[in-house]
Amino acid sequence: MDPSQNPSTENGAASTFEPGRYYGYPLPYLSIDGYPGKIIAIEGTDGVGRSTQIALLREWLEVQGYGVIETGWTRSSLMQPTIDLAKSSNTLNKLTFVLLYATDFADRLEKEIIPALKAGFIVLADRYIFTAMARAGVRGVDRSWIRNLYGFAIAPHLVFYLKIDVETLIRRVLQSRGMNYWESGMDMKLGDDIHDSFRAYQRQLLKEYQALADEFSFRVLDARKRVQSIQDQLRRDVGAFLEASDTPSMGTLAGPGDPLSPKS
Amino acid sequence: MFVTDWNSSALVKAATKAGKKKATLTPMTFSLLHATDFADRLLYNIIPPLKAGMIVLADRYTYTAFARDAARGVDPRWVRELYSFAVRPDLAVYFRVPIEVSLDRLLARRVKLKFYEAGMDLGLSPSLVESFRLFQGRVLEEYDRIVDEFGLKMVDASGSITSQQREFRRLVADYLEGASGPQSEPVD
Repeated sequence: MDPSQNPSTENGAASTFEPGRYYGYPLPYLSIDGYPGKIIAIEGTDGVGRSTQIALLREWLEVQGYGVIETGWTRSSLMQPTIDLAKSSNTLNKLTFVLLYATDFADRLEKEIIPALKAGFIVLADRYIFTAMARAGVRGVDRSWIRNLYGFAIAPHLVFYLKIDVETLIRRVLQSRGMNYWESGMDMKLGDDIHDSFRAYQRQLLKEYQALADEFSFRVLDARKRVQSIQDQLRRDVGAFLEASDTPSMGTLAGPGDPLSPKS
Repeated sequence: MFVTDWNSSALVKAATKAGKKKATLTPMTFSLLHATDFADRLLYNIIPPLKAGMIVLADRYTYTAFARDAARGVDPRWVRELYSFAVRPDLAVYFRVPIEVSLDRLLARRVKLKFYEAGMDLGLSPSLVESFRLFQGRVLEEYDRIVDEFGLKMVDASGSITSQQREFRRLVADYLEGASGPQSEPVD
């Protein structure tokens, strides 16, 4: 972490970091100073409604003329096939998994997120580094090691956390697509019964997310509310933030900001 | 005894191969993919024989990543912390060779230098040989730093194979003499 930053905060637990800057050791070959784009991350456990909220938020932002791109967990072209293979073969240990996710994130950071920030786009991240931290935390991976590992990540301007309790989550997941092996943490051998494992694993995961919410100052949204009421809250917060940041160079659909153009 | 090679875990091979083929790896993804591969081999191929009291011969270890990733522009402190999960070797030997000698040897043996080995991803020179010379020059500079930082033993690799092997065996023998000796019970 940058030693020039003041580490003291109101509760002493939260790290300090500046939105739009690297958390830890920067990528020496990629300066991001003065890039006008913004990162808005939506975090939350499996089946909590992230993608619904992101789709609605994106539509709203685009109607107002903002350029928006989405990036999502394990969606990099480099790593997605390998991660899928690793999940299906079930031979991976926790450390290798953590590193595969980090590689996926690095690929998306350099190829999607940073170019979009440069071009003044709003990056909507469906999960960011915190899901990796929560999953690693539950599996006993060293906390300071994983924070250093993700030191090359750029701190988002806003992080929203869709918070839910285990009982509501279970009902919701069962009503939609059912419980799967990884979301139930079956690799952790918490129990042979998928329901019991899901409950135990997600409970631990939610505890990790809560700790991260304090450490990284998430904005907490109650995921048990109706879709529209959560979305209203999101829009109010995002709208207020964008108004306050007042960056005239933000790319708009009418503007020249093509995220793929290297010289925009 | 057990031998482990750099970059051999089956899992990561596919992604590394695809990334290298299409030349789409960045310095960070290059670094992270190799760390993933290393983690996989550490847990499956290195730690079990160590626990069984065997000697593991590692053809390259974390120091290769320290040198190569830093030469690519990744923060050297970050790479060291990334690999902090690795077991520190009991003996690490660096075969040191001037850049021209290594280039001559490679060119004599192979038709073509590899894209990433020559650091072509960095755009140092459009010529493969020149890029190799520049990039590997940086890698050697990093190695010199690493030798001091981690106390690597050195073998002069510009000499003949016989003389290198003699030196290498002496280093290993000296180390083993100082260590506790074979772990297993002697067989009658």
